[in-house]
Amino acid sequence: MKVTIKNWHAIAQWRWDIGSNEVDDEGDVCGICRVPYEGCCPSCKMPGDDCPLIWGECSHVFHMHCLLKWLGTAASKQQCPMDRRPWGESIVSS
Amino acid sequence: MATSTLCNQVAEKWQRSFAKLNREKEGITGLLEFTRAWLTASDQLRPRDKSGLAVKPPYDKTKLRECFEIIRSCNLHAVFLDDYLDAVGRHLPAITSDIEFYMKMYEVHITYPLPTFASWLRLIQREPKVEHIAMLINIAARWQRAWAPLPEMGASAISAFTCTFQTHLYSILPPSFTEGFRDLIAATFDFKSIESAPDWLPLRFPCTPGVPRPDFTLWIVMQELGLIERYETLILSVCYERIEKHISETCGKVWDRQVLQEMRDWMSREVVTWLTMPYARDARSAEHAAMLMKGVGSRLDYHVCKTLADLRTLEIFDIIIDYPDSRPALDDLKECLQRVDQRSQLVQSLRKANRRRLLHPGADTKLILTQYVSIIRCLRIIDPQGVLLFKVADPIRRYLRDRPDTIRCIVASLVGDGESGESGDSLVDENEPIQPINQTQLEDYTDPNWEPEPIDAGPGNDIISTLISIYDSQELFVKELQILLAQRLLAIKDGNFDRERRNIEILKIRFGEAALQVCEVMLRDMTDSKRMDQHIQQQTASDLHPTVISRHFWPPLQTNTFTMSGQFRKIQEDYANEFHVFKPDKKLVWMSHLGSINLEVELDDRTVEAEVPPLEAALIELFSEQDEWTVADLIVNVGSIERSNAVKALTTWVELGVLKEDSPDHYRLLKTAEEASTRATARQPAVAVEELPPVVTVQQQQAEQMRVFWMYIEGMLKNLGQLPLDRIQQMLKFAPNYDRNIDQLAAFMEAARREGLVTVTNGLWKLQSK
Repeated sequence: MKVTIKNWHAIAQWRWDIGSNEVDDEGDVCGICRVPYEGCCPSCKMPGDDCPLIWGECSHVFHMHCLLKWLGTAASKQQCPMDRRPWGESIVSS
Repeated sequence: MATSTLCNQVAEKWQRSFAKLNREKEGITGLLEFTRAWLTASDQLRPRDKSGLAVKPPYDKTKLRECFEIIRSCNLHAVFLDDYLDAVGRHLPAITSDIEFYMKMYEVHITYPLPTFASWLRLIQREPKVEHIAMLINIAARWQRAWAPLPEMGASAISAFTCTFQTHLYSILPPSFTEGFRDLIAATFDFKSIESAPDWLPLRFPCTPGVPRPDFTLWIVMQELGLIERYETLILSVCYERIEKHISETCGKVWDRQVLQEMRDWMSREVVTWLTMPYARDARSAEHAAMLMKGVGSRLDYHVCKTLADLRTLEIFDIIIDYPDSRPALDDLKECLQRVDQRSQLVQSLRKANRRRLLHPGADTKLILTQYVSIIRCLRIIDPQGVLLFKVADPIRRYLRDRPDTIRCIVASLVGDGESGESGDSLVDENEPIQPINQTQLEDYTDPNWEPEPIDAGPGNDIISTLISIYDSQELFVKELQILLAQRLLAIKDGNFDRERRNIEILKIRFGEAALQVCEVMLRDMTDSKRMDQHIQQQTASDLHPTVISRHFWPPLQTNTFTMSGQFRKIQEDYANEFHVFKPDKKLVWMSHLGSINLEVELDDRTVEAEVPPLEAALIELFSEQDEWTVADLIVNVGSIERSNAVKALTTWVELGVLKEDSPDHYRLLKTAEEASTRATARQPAVAVEELPPVVTVQQQQAEQMRVFWMYIEGMLKNLGQLPLDRIQQMLKFAPNYDRNIDQLAAFMEAARREGLVTVTNGLWKLQSK
């Protein structure tokens, strides 16, 4: 007996690959806007490629727009908002 | 004892009377002359019985005039008249017997229960008996004419006589005369020409030449007897009956053309022509006649409108069902209502019909909505101000609010019915301009420039706004819309969702861009998935074509994820890897239980093609490893699924003739077909994709939330003992996402009490001690 697939219409979700392998987690939120990573930052309307994430060297992850806005303020002193270490973007994602 | 004074007085009186009667004639010749005159005149006038009815004895006019002259000159005119009227009264029994005779003739026909069937049959075959009433009228008139004073006596004498005679006449007419008279009047309607008149009519009432109607004389006679004046209301009521009968016969259920004008024409042709007989017989010209009948004509016109309005009011529910075919009937009704104030009756009638025929559990929500929309459209025709609509709509709206599927129905019709085709009986009129939904703004009465809304503005804007305003917020609609859209989009396999896009664009105009942002993301997910799939297929062709969704922008999807087996899993993994290459910062998380698979099962003697949900596919794949499985083993192999789902999936294959349940929980692959299963294999390809929506409905979401809140409630009751409802509500407000009001909480607590989880005493809730 053999099962041959002719066509398969499936449904999937996309997730940012942020290293964790848990599937069922409710999803982490951006430390700045408290919106899930797979959502979009307050200034965006479309999630995903239009509102990407940014990985810090300190392993913290934010919506890119949120972080850039933060870094643009004087109070940021170019530090990660979570741990106050100097912000540097991690080049190698995951 | 007569004193001399008294004697003198009597003598004086006598002398005066004598002088008056003798009129200063010689001796007593004057007195004799007077006596002769009195006798001649009273003999001439004396009412006679039967014989007198024939012809008045000939008299000498000049001589008679002289007699009256003498009586008048003696100033005894009034006494003579009194004496004459007394005589009339005395002779009335002669008339009474005549009237009794004719009334008996008339009543014989209407006295029903008759001894034998044969005589009954004979009697009902006879013509109606108005003839006798006509004869009665004729004879009464002849009596009146015979006894009438001579014109020489002057007008006052004639009117005094007419009054006395008619008073007597009416006093002896029995009550059944009214009935008979009514019949007679009604019968005259049909006496349009000499030919159509019955035989007796020209016999009793000879026709005057040159008069259009044969009943002309009859009416003159009735006028003479004062019957027309006395029975005016009766005559009109005959007209009314006529109108009512005609309208109910010709207009009932006739809604596809306007009938009001038709009825008015009919009335002026039939009824008004007839009415010239009682009211405008002696009109010199048409204008004169019109003037004479102006009053009665407008009363009849009013009655036409009223009758038609009554009829349409009774039929209103069905008229609305028939809309727009029944548009003319509504125009009629509108015109009638302008003349007759029956609006409250209309509201009552429609409300009653709605309650009886529409707002009951047997009616489909879609049907109620459709009828509601029709009601809106129809009542706007009748009453553009919308006052009627407001009164009628209120119960419907209240009822709809209580129905759980109202929102879904409205939303479904907003996006057009998927399967029923483009032009189904959608509530939305395609031609209606799409307008943004006006949020009802509360009027600011403190504004010094406040002005009332123009009376013809109407409460609703367009139909959709009216429907949506059934609920207080449009948030619910957007939520339901999102769910519906998700169901639609997830079911799409060929990637063609132009229709959905178009609908969303239209709805954006209504609800505003911001409210539908989520839907926008869903649509973009669809486009992106398509593009991504095209790209990946170019790299490595795959039978898998996924729709990749942004999970926070879709309604919660049912989560009972399991692991696909065998080759399916491999395909998924391959595809996910390919995806990761294409989008290095993203990964795919499969929602294995959603979607559908078109597959072919090759067996020893046959191939079965089927379109099945993923779980079915996963299970049958396992059978390629081993021919026999128990349900428990299968579940272990695919992961967390409910037993019932597994059994259901297996049943699908049993029905397709691929598997067989040998013993309970024990399934075996049928490598070669069994007799009974050939039937199933015949229908190919089988479609076993369930119609169930994969999306969690609003109710399910709420129930899920409530389960969380129950934990809170349980906790606080455990810690604090017993609590009143408002206290629970207050505390729950601290819980995240809690948005219920106290009534909803009360309903929930009540449900919990029914399940035996809590008890309530004096408004204090506490946990049921176990």
